[in-house]
Amino acid sequence: MTGDYLWDRTGWPDPELVRLERVMSTLQYQPAAGTRSDVGHARPEQTRASILMLAGTAAAVLALVLVSWQQARVPRPALGVTRLAGTPTIASRPMGDQAQLGVGRYLETDAAARASVDVASVGRVEVSPETRLGLLSTRPGNYRLDLARGTVEAFIWAPPGQFSMKTPSSTAVDLGCLYTMTVDDDGVCLVRVKMGWVGFEWRGRESFIPEGAACVTRPRLGPGTPHYEDTSAAFRTALETIDLRRGSTLERQAAVTLVLAEARPRDVLTLWHLLTRVDPDQRDRVFDRLAGLVPPPSNVTRDGVKSGDREMLDAWWDKLDLRTASWWRIWKQQWRDNAGGR
Amino acid sequence: MAIRAFARAGVARAVSVPEDLVRLVTAAQRQDRAAFAELYALYARTVHGILLSRVPRADVDDLLQDVFLRAMQRLPELRDPAAFSGWLATIARNCATDYFRHAAPTAELPDDVPAHDSDRVEALAVMGIIRTLPVAYCETLTLRLVEGLTGPEISARTGLTEGSVRVNLHRGMKQLRERLERRPV
Repeated sequence: MTGDYLWDRTGWPDPELVRLERVMSTLQYQPAAGTRSDVGHARPEQTRASILMLAGTAAAVLALVLVSWQQARVPRPALGVTRLAGTPTIASRPMGDQAQLGVGRYLETDAAARASVDVASVGRVEVSPETRLGLLSTRPGNYRLDLARGTVEAFIWAPPGQFSMKTPSSTAVDLGCLYTMTVDDDGVCLVRVKMGWVGFEWRGRESFIPEGAACVTRPRLGPGTPHYEDTSAAFRTALETIDLRRGSTLERQAAVTLVLAEARPRDVLTLWHLLTRVDPDQRDRVFDRLAGLVPPPSNVTRDGVKSGDREMLDAWWDKLDLRTASWWRIWKQQWRDNAGGR
Repeated sequence: MAIRAFARAGVARAVSVPEDLVRLVTAAQRQDRAAFAELYALYARTVHGILLSRVPRADVDDLLQDVFLRAMQRLPELRDPAAFSGWLATIARNCATDYFRHAAPTAELPDDVPAHDSDRVEALAVMGIIRTLPVAYCETLTLRLVEGLTGPEISARTGLTEGSVRVNLHRGMKQLRERLERRPV
């Protein structure tokens, strides 16, 4: 009957096999706090004999479960850091091959150093040279990093709203999937999304950046207008003029004209963001160009959009066929819920 | 959704519910990040076991993340969502193969294990013996003994037939017993 127990834990358990299971389980995958394990040790119906045989180990198993449960409830006080090159420092002290980044501490790399930060089981952040990255929180469901300067590449697979990064532009960022983020000495941040989506929010100003797009955030201005990376240099310069409200009214009108003229169907992403960002007297032009590419839903009015009606803007967003609209809805809601608790 | 309900309750069993898995994989293919996170939670232990059976333990956690990164990048190419389990297991095995292709040959350093933690010391020793078995036996035994999956669960999670898993388990266990008996006391 040993074979049955080996196969599916039914039948008479071989004591040596039970002992091996117990010993070997010490090498088992350990999900981090706030994450779930894929498989429990569900026990199928036991025979009376097997129950008797296992009774001796039941108390120990129960104790292990209780200890594991208690450990799982304790937030990790630190994140693991792996040295990839050179000599990164944590709290100004050189780190070895492995180290822990505690809350309130900063990891720094010089021109020759690189490191990798394991964000519990929700993702990984690779830290490039000349970077300063701090840890603000490790509460399960609320992992927060602070990118003071430099470049990181992050891959996050946590459910929406669990990971965020602060930048010098005071922009709360909730990020997902695979992206790079660079903060320069002036605190200007550039995010480039390789996969998935990134969201920025600062004082109610939002930018949604999909795969293949990029966006700049600036201190005191918040997130700029996202654009696909294959847009022309002139297109990007024009967006910068609009975002910075740079130059005269005529110059900004010219910038809007250029963007509208160059906009391709996929640039509805940029046009949607511009609906509420251009000078008020230019919003009709943006509305018409976007409507020419994707007509607004019947319940969306020109005046509503021009005045920044959130429901109407969202309804039009949903119609842009950006594939991830429904996913974004959930994400944004959770993001706001989390932000309220921060 | 049954899989999610199990997972949320913290009592997730590796019960294969193909229609739910298909829905989950399909959602993840549409870049539903929450769905991918569910898949991660459901399969992390399986991938961990596959990797542990092949590469030094110290590198398993890093490779675990690499496997899911590759999976996420390639998920849109998966034509049959129902084939996700075998597809992910293949990625994990390929990741392990690539590890040895690119890594300099090294000896696995002993764990920094307190001397009084005798179970862990023995577990590492037994793991070393399991790794000397044929790879098919090694992987199946690791999933069974270390990760706690049953035979039917291993089959569902790796795409192997139940017959293959049963054979691997029995033959692997027989060889493991023989080698454990031969090891010096």
